Amino acid sequence: MALTLTCPICGERNGYEFKYGGEDKGPRPEESGLSPEAWCDYVHMNNCVAGVQKEWWYHRDGCGVWFTTERDTTSNLEIHNAEVS
Amino acid sequence: MVAITRRSPVVFDVSPSRQEKRDHWNVALEYPGEGEGPWITDLCHKDRWDVQDGDLVSLASDTLPIPEGYGQVALSPEMSVNRMNRTQAAVWHFTDQPGPMPVVSSFTETTEATVFLALYGPRVFAVTEKLTGLDLGGPDKKPPQLVQGPFSHVPCQIVVAAKSGEYPGILFTCSRGYARDMVHAVMDAGQEFGLRPAGEDRFKQWLNRF
Repeated sequence: MALTLTCPICGERNGYEFKYGGEDKGPRPEESGLSPEAWCDYVHMNNCVAGVQKEWWYHRDGCGVWFTTERDTTSNLEIHNAEVS
Repeated sequence: MVAITRRSPVVFDVSPSRQEKRDHWNVALEYPGEGEGPWITDLCHKDRWDVQDGDLVSLASDTLPIPEGYGQVALSPEMSVNRMNRTQAAVWHFTDQPGPMPVVSSFTETTEATVFLALYGPRVFAVTEKLTGLDLGGPDKKPPQLVQGPFSHVPCQIVVAAKSGEYPGILFTCSRGYARDMVHAVMDAGQEFGLRPAGEDRFKQWLNRF
């Protein structure tokens, strides 16, 4: 399925112009009191949602901006417009 | 004493009929049989700067008009200033001897890091649509406008300078290493439309329309 993504600067573009940056896991956890297990979970573990998830994308062949957007992983369609990082 | 020679990575099948030496570059002024267009002109010898700063607006001046909106372009016969994103802009000079680059860490000289080409003249968008999925002549484009994306599968910075009238055209840059293949692809795509290499004189005639 062809993916189309909406870059916040360049607009709607072919998904092949972008590089996937992983799930958006929220802000980096506070270091004070952070256990190795919690840090490992934050870095390596993913939710792998079958449905809508928020993701990071990089416009590699275009303006070079990192942004987040929501994509339905079951249909491979973008759901919402992107937000600049 | 060492003689410095600066070489353009762009090579056409035909040699220029008139050229001059400028700042150690061999600059083609005219090619034989340039025809009625469309034309491609090698602009690799033109000075180019990259500007990166968290506060780009503070670097703008009367001589360096950095646009505020992303994708906007300040185009004149002297230069093109292209706003790429929040922190970055590109400056392409068209004059033979532009002033010195400001001695500020925000500026980087990129002249010899990229290829710089102009593609202009009648039916130029018939050529570009064979090379990219980007609709450079589309109704959503308001020239002069910057488009960043793949052109002949190579990430490029493209300025749509004019899309209507007798002489539409684009200016674009990409990494220097792609020069040979980029020129080959563009010339091959433009063959059926009569695309020919043109010298700097014809480019200046076209540019002075802005």
